[in-house]
Amino acid sequence: MNKKTQKLRTLNIILGFLSLIVFGYALYVFLRLQPKMIAFKGLSDLESGMMTGVGFGLLIIMAFFLFSLLHMVNFIRHSEGIKPIMVALIISGVISLLFVFSDVALLNDINKQYRHSLTQPEWFLVYPIMGFQFVITLILLFLHLSGLLMLKQIDKVVRDSNIFIIVQYVGVICGLMGLASSSLGFFFPRAWSLNVHTTTGGIILLFPYGLSVTYWVLTKLKEKNREWWDEKQLQDIGKSALITLVIDTILLLMLFILNYNHLDGVICILWLPLYLFATIFVFSMGNLYYSSKG
Amino acid sequence: MTLKLRNNLRKYRFNHNEISQQDLANAVGVTRLTIHSIETGKFNPSTLLALKLAHFFNIKMEDLFYLVKDDVE
Repeated sequence: MNKKTQKLRTLNIILGFLSLIVFGYALYVFLRLQPKMIAFKGLSDLESGMMTGVGFGLLIIMAFFLFSLLHMVNFIRHSEGIKPIMVALIISGVISLLFVFSDVALLNDINKQYRHSLTQPEWFLVYPIMGFQFVITLILLFLHLSGLLMLKQIDKVVRDSNIFIIVQYVGVICGLMGLASSSLGFFFPRAWSLNVHTTTGGIILLFPYGLSVTYWVLTKLKEKNREWWDEKQLQDIGKSALITLVIDTILLLMLFILNYNHLDGVICILWLPLYLFATIFVFSMGNLYYSSKG
Repeated sequence: MTLKLRNNLRKYRFNHNEISQQDLANAVGVTRLTIHSIETGKFNPSTLLALKLAHFFNIKMEDLFYLVKDDVE
């Protein structure tokens, strides 16, 4: 058994149990503070500190999802093929990781609204989101404890294809979520909303994609006969790039027409995230389609 | 009349101690998916890759790859 992998497994088990403690602690804090905050009652210093503690706890959860994803990707790299269950787990892991940022944003909004004596409808989102993250944590922790991700598979892979495909899956999720997040700007065209949802949201949604691409680049740099793609991958990339070019051109043309008589409209800001996420989504989807087609 | 490229890759892989797609891919420096795509006739390899595959099995390229008439035509 590889020492590095063993260390990663131990780290993930520790982080997994710590995450479960954080979920329990967060639930206790929420159940204690929510009634008071909804009723705009004062919070003691201890209670305010408890909320900050949840924020720090979220860092542990984020670390758990990050290292679990790393472990799963390492496992997939040495697999004969990618099983649908692993794809589902990677997708759930990426979504859970993105939800950590949602947790922070929601708790921040709740705190701001409480201070300004405003209602806090965000409470209804916090529980299902953290519930989803809790379930994924349990599944991932079970995987680490059972040692399923430690099973020895292929010893040597000269030219990787699995990581390349995983990057495309991450691209599809981030691209789709980015398009949805950017489109919110049409419905909430206030400057504050555009800043939060478009700029910050966009950067956060690019984070998992950036990480997966970086990991892929690192695996390529380790390969002895370094060629970025083999001939089949190059053909798939070429076809996907052509489709991306056509769809992006149509999208930008539509945005230009929409914006023609509204030069001060939201499209002045939204065109870039829409273009960026559409590119990532279509390109990744194309690569997935052509690689699965054979 | 259209001609299509077919191959005996699977047969030679089987005769070659049932070498796996991954091991063959490692030997010729491509991904496992590329070998799979060639075997299923969904991808036509370059001349270089076809020669590498024939060289690996120590056979002529014509033994590994051959042309057939497309039935559709």
